[in-house]
Amino acid sequence: MTSSEGVAPAAGVTRRRRARPGKVLAPYLLSLPAGLWLLALFLVPLVVMLSLSLQTCNFGTGACVMTWHWGEFWSQVSLYHSQFLTSIYFAGAATIIDLIVSFPIAYWIAFYGGSKKNFFLLMLLVPFFVSFVIRTIVWEFILSDQGIVLGTLKNAHLLPQNFHILATGYAVVAGLAYNYLPFTALPLYVAIERIDKTVLDAAYDLYASKREAFTRVILPLTIPGMFAAFLLTFIPALGDYVNQQILGGTNNTMIGTVIQNAFLTNLDYAGGSALSAVLLAIALVGIFAYARLLGSRTIEEYL
Amino acid sequence: MQDQHNPQPGSNDPALDPSIWRGLTQPRMSRRQMLRAAGAGAGALGVSAFLAACGVKGATVGGGSSPKPGGVGSASWWAKQKLHHTVNFANWPYYIDVLKGKHPSLQHFTDLTGIQVNYTEAISDNLPFYAKIRPSLQAQQYTGYDIIVMTNNSPPLGYLINYGWLTPLDQSAMVNFHKYASPLVANPAWDRGNKYTMAWQSGWTAIGYNSSVVKNPGDSVQILFDPKYSGKVGMMADPQELGSLGLLAIGVEPATSTESDWARAAKKLQTQKSDGIVRAYYDQDYINHLKNGDTVVSQAWSGDIFQADLNHATSDLRLLIPHEGGMSWTDNMCIPAYAQNPKDAMTLMDYYYSPDVQAVVEYYNDYVCPVPLAQQVLLHPTGWAAETLKAMKPSIGLPYSKTANAPTVFPDKQAIALSRPYYQYKSQEELTAWNNLFLPITQGS
Repeated sequence: MTSSEGVAPAAGVTRRRRARPGKVLAPYLLSLPAGLWLLALFLVPLVVMLSLSLQTCNFGTGACVMTWHWGEFWSQVSLYHSQFLTSIYFAGAATIIDLIVSFPIAYWIAFYGGSKKNFFLLMLLVPFFVSFVIRTIVWEFILSDQGIVLGTLKNAHLLPQNFHILATGYAVVAGLAYNYLPFTALPLYVAIERIDKTVLDAAYDLYASKREAFTRVILPLTIPGMFAAFLLTFIPALGDYVNQQILGGTNNTMIGTVIQNAFLTNLDYAGGSALSAVLLAIALVGIFAYARLLGSRTIEEYL
Repeated sequence: MQDQHNPQPGSNDPALDPSIWRGLTQPRMSRRQMLRAAGAGAGALGVSAFLAACGVKGATVGGGSSPKPGGVGSASWWAKQKLHHTVNFANWPYYIDVLKGKHPSLQHFTDLTGIQVNYTEAISDNLPFYAKIRPSLQAQQYTGYDIIVMTNNSPPLGYLINYGWLTPLDQSAMVNFHKYASPLVANPAWDRGNKYTMAWQSGWTAIGYNSSVVKNPGDSVQILFDPKYSGKVGMMADPQELGSLGLLAIGVEPATSTESDWARAAKKLQTQKSDGIVRAYYDQDYINHLKNGDTVVSQAWSGDIFQADLNHATSDLRLLIPHEGGMSWTDNMCIPAYAQNPKDAMTLMDYYYSPDVQAVVEYYNDYVCPVPLAQQVLLHPTGWAAETLKAMKPSIGLPYSKTANAPTVFPDKQAIALSRPYYQYKSQEELTAWNNLFLPITQGS
């Protein structure tokens, strides 16, 4: 919008004056739909949740009154702090597994995919066209103690009879890693794909070995993408309750399950809201750390 | 020891094992009683302007007192009601007689009265179901159901009564009930004078064990704390069930316990968990884990164990009601407020108190029968009951006398003496205190 450049000052002034109302309003009008969407579907529910966490609710009628009961936060966190730690640990482990697994995939597609890049990306996504809950339940079926995998191995005496995968933390981490893989692979692919291949040639010209070219050129250039992938995977995995409920046991409860039980099984809206608010705060810390380290601009590029 | 059945041969169509289906589909969760919920909870009623601005809907509710003269549920109101020849009945899954995908007792009802029954298995848990119908009741609208089935020890039944969200029953239409109802369910503590409810079925939360592994179960709840069965003990995830057992284990009557007892019970259960005795805290799936050997002794619901025992050729499951007591609960039929077909609902509810009908239901169900005379029908069936039982026999595969003589279906004096009521929370603070002690045990990390 630099149309007035090189125009005589007098004419420029009149033109700018005429164009001004539209020019000033245009960005706001253009962002209005997104703004309304954010307001109605994000900010309002967020405020309702935060206010609910400070209210006292009647379990029977569902009616809540504002009591500014800050103690709710303290009591919920002291009851369930270990479930928060479990969630951070599981989500973190799943995200790191996803980064390790999807980096070679993204790298290979970006560098060697050639004209079939889109086809390979589609192949990566095809399993995820089936509902997330259904896929997780199928894993429960496949991995059950006497199921088609473990049952067969046990019958062949390759595994002890009491060996089990379900109801362990490993099963939950594996489920999370499986379900959130595309959220890691796609931002990584974008980051690797946009690397200028001539930079790599330059590295070789400067006598870099293949390994040095990878660790000193490619890896640093993909770091913003890795962080984006980390956030996109870690934050949803942190609040996930499906994997834990289907694949996990009772000694590896994640905070998402506690929140879900608070709302649906115990009708404790205030407690559930307080836990959700704490979870949100943890997620925000992650995002702010990202913004501080890499600048908010890179978020826009990858998210 | 309550269960004297030998391992049973039978037709055993494995696809038809009702306890498996019930176990898979019917979470017995959240059995809490809060008959006087309105007490301290009433202080929290009402809606602030702030809340209204946030879009959270509150409620204005009336008290659950006796029907006003001429008001809903009064004799003159009932006199004006007419049959609409249709009734919408919401029940728990696998809780009624089944024959070839149909329910003989409901078909018989339609044949007798011309009333079509829309039978849905819509209730899988008390609180979530209550949360679903509550908005309709608050808006003074029909919930879509004329009969619902709520458990006496879970808060929703108390809420429904206290907030005036149940239609008082037509006492004059309860002919069979007044004639045949068992003393266990007539005029019960949770609904004096049966003003709002009629029992559907009852049961115990007791102990199930695998008799091929547990040779000497003894007669105490301490078996669940026995290091001999470390890692093979199943406990219930529901805080009401878990806490009540903890109280029995420390020698306290749950119904008269205090908050300091609860803390001691929680400590005992926490130790049981940290000592590695508990395999897991289960919902409805405990029965499958008991069957496949993951657990050898577990908290259990009486009907499930009985059915697993009856209908499963290789099952070694037995029920133990310990000398400390078995927690006793009752699922109750009631008519939600604003029901469109109350007279049809009354007709159906009273129909289920006919001994012939209960005999058919119980031959399939095996929970505690609210009609003692059904025992005689099972022993000497006649007419419709005889035909129907005969038709059901190939799929159930056992003589009717097995059901008739089971103390878990027609409880004897000993079983009745061992029944214990649940604690009734006197306020929401008490319920929260209870949950904050026992929920963190089951939702461990």
